[in-house]
Amino acid sequence: MRNMFADAPRTTLTAFYWAFLLYLLLPLTLMMAMSFKDANFVAFPIGDWTLDWYAKVMQDKQFLEACLYSVMIAAASTLAATTLGTWIAMLIVAEGIKGQVIIFALACLPAVVPGMISAISLRIFISTIDMPTGTAAIILGHTVHAVPFVVVMALTRLRSMPGNLVDAARDLGADSVVAFFRVTLPYLKPALVGGMIFCVLLSIDDFVRTFFLGGYRPTLPMLIFAKVQGGMSPEINAMATLVLVVTAAVGLYAEYLTRRARTR
Amino acid sequence: MQPVVQFDNVTKSYGKHVAVENLNLSIEAGKFVTLLGPSGCGKSTSLRMLGGFEMPNSGRILLGGKDVTRVPPNKRNVNIVFQDYALFPHMSVAKNIAFGLELKGLDNQQIHRRVSELLELVQLQDYAKRLPSELSGGQRQRVALMRALAPDPDVLLLDEPLSALDAKLRQQMQIELKSIQEKTGKTFMFVTHDQEEALTMSDTIVVMNKGKIEQMGDPNTLYGRPGSVFVANFIGETNLLRSTVVGTEGDTTALNWNGVTIKAAQGGLAPKAGDHLYVVLRPEAIHCSADEPTSGNRIKGKVRQRVFKGNHTSLSVEVADGAVLNALVHPSDVAQLNGEDIWVGWKPETTTVIPDRHAHN
Repeated sequence: MRNMFADAPRTTLTAFYWAFLLYLLLPLTLMMAMSFKDANFVAFPIGDWTLDWYAKVMQDKQFLEACLYSVMIAAASTLAATTLGTWIAMLIVAEGIKGQVIIFALACLPAVVPGMISAISLRIFISTIDMPTGTAAIILGHTVHAVPFVVVMALTRLRSMPGNLVDAARDLGADSVVAFFRVTLPYLKPALVGGMIFCVLLSIDDFVRTFFLGGYRPTLPMLIFAKVQGGMSPEINAMATLVLVVTAAVGLYAEYLTRRARTR
Repeated sequence: MQPVVQFDNVTKSYGKHVAVENLNLSIEAGKFVTLLGPSGCGKSTSLRMLGGFEMPNSGRILLGGKDVTRVPPNKRNVNIVFQDYALFPHMSVAKNIAFGLELKGLDNQQIHRRVSELLELVQLQDYAKRLPSELSGGQRQRVALMRALAPDPDVLLLDEPLSALDAKLRQQMQIELKSIQEKTGKTFMFVTHDQEEALTMSDTIVVMNKGKIEQMGDPNTLYGRPGSVFVANFIGETNLLRSTVVGTEGDTTALNWNGVTIKAAQGGLAPKAGDHLYVVLRPEAIHCSADEPTSGNRIKGKVRQRVFKGNHTSLSVEVADGAVLNALVHPSDVAQLNGEDIWVGWKPETTTVIPDRHAHN
């Protein structure tokens, strides 16, 4: 006969696992379910199902514009953050440079400063240098936030790079610029692609910095926030569901890329 | 003839540690030259200085008669085969080999021709499109070699390139390296701590110790006539007999070793009675027998240890005053040496003598 007490820890663990999964997925599932509801208010029971809300979202000019704006900001800040982050990572592994620990600590700081503090200080900073709020300010804020993630990812990859690859390139006639673009950069590529996708997600997701630095043109999170304040409607659910599916797909792809890079 | 490489009084130190001290070395074109020595002897530093990756503190390095001491690596016509190959992981075999050619500004057709010619030299034609991670150790080794040879360097530098391979493959690659060197007629400068590699492949061996050249010569000379205790110990196995000169007779010297009188060739020295000398006696020069030999040096001894090595048996024989001589015995001679008491003998001309530098007489 099996002793039920002997199995207790295992059973408890399994139960917690399922409880956690439910806790994680229930809100998302509810949100997605409501987006298919054929009624104007968000509540149970769901009587009839419809795709009308999605059709409406796709025709919503405000939503499409906000999407485009978010993507544009994400692209610009990702490009800036990747360039800066790669450069800082190269600086940290370079020989003969002092204070590399300090550079690393400073580069990582924006990742650990609370978003609120970071947003306020950035706002104070841009008004000090007489920079208007709006697109440029948002891109600046997102770039600062994303740089540490690129630095860490690029650094991990750089540290695993055999030291004599660059020596070999130099030996075969490459100057340091050619060696960087033809050997170091391709070696970093998997880490940089992963880092860039992460930057995009960070930027699209960001609310606090955008809220403090933004002008009148809303990014996607700002638009959804405004709409929620006007009252819940299945249309918002449809919007959120779309954003969720796209970002999850991109995130999973990034994870796949970094995994593949690691096994190589 | 103008030497292709010249180290002119080169010194390199890191802080207080002197890696290479007043190195003077000339290398003739078309030779296979090996820098041999234990780790930290300065051989790799010398190679990296020639490659342009280290700057000497003083002295000059000349390549084809031109001073290249301060020329960066990409502007020197030398190429290195690195210890762990350093193949570019994101490039195919063909792209790796083409790298140096592209930077030399050759056109695509010339590059293609040169790459296939080199791949053919090492029978890797079918692997041109593979990535380095899809090759075996020996194949990577060959690709690294061809990549370094592709731009047609004045000197090919090899930094312990065989150390990552297993014993069997290493022997095979030694022969292959030598034959590639002969086929291409290139000057090879090979760095290793493995004396067997050095003896197998080199035209000239430069033995280094503590940043200085200990002895330089062809493998035969270094093995047969080592100039110092260090060289005798480092190259091959050896019995070193510290002896005192009793007298000379023609070109042979009579010596006292642990109370036994032995004879040895003078080896270019002019020893006086009372001088201390080392007699270099290689294990394979010793002949072991059950009966007393009729000529040459002979000593009675007791067998202390027998180690079977397949193609020979290694004997440790205790002779005069507890001193032990190591001898190699051919399989056909082992049978008659089953007893403990045997005779060891050798011909005086198979030994050489080294002055004892530390002796004060």
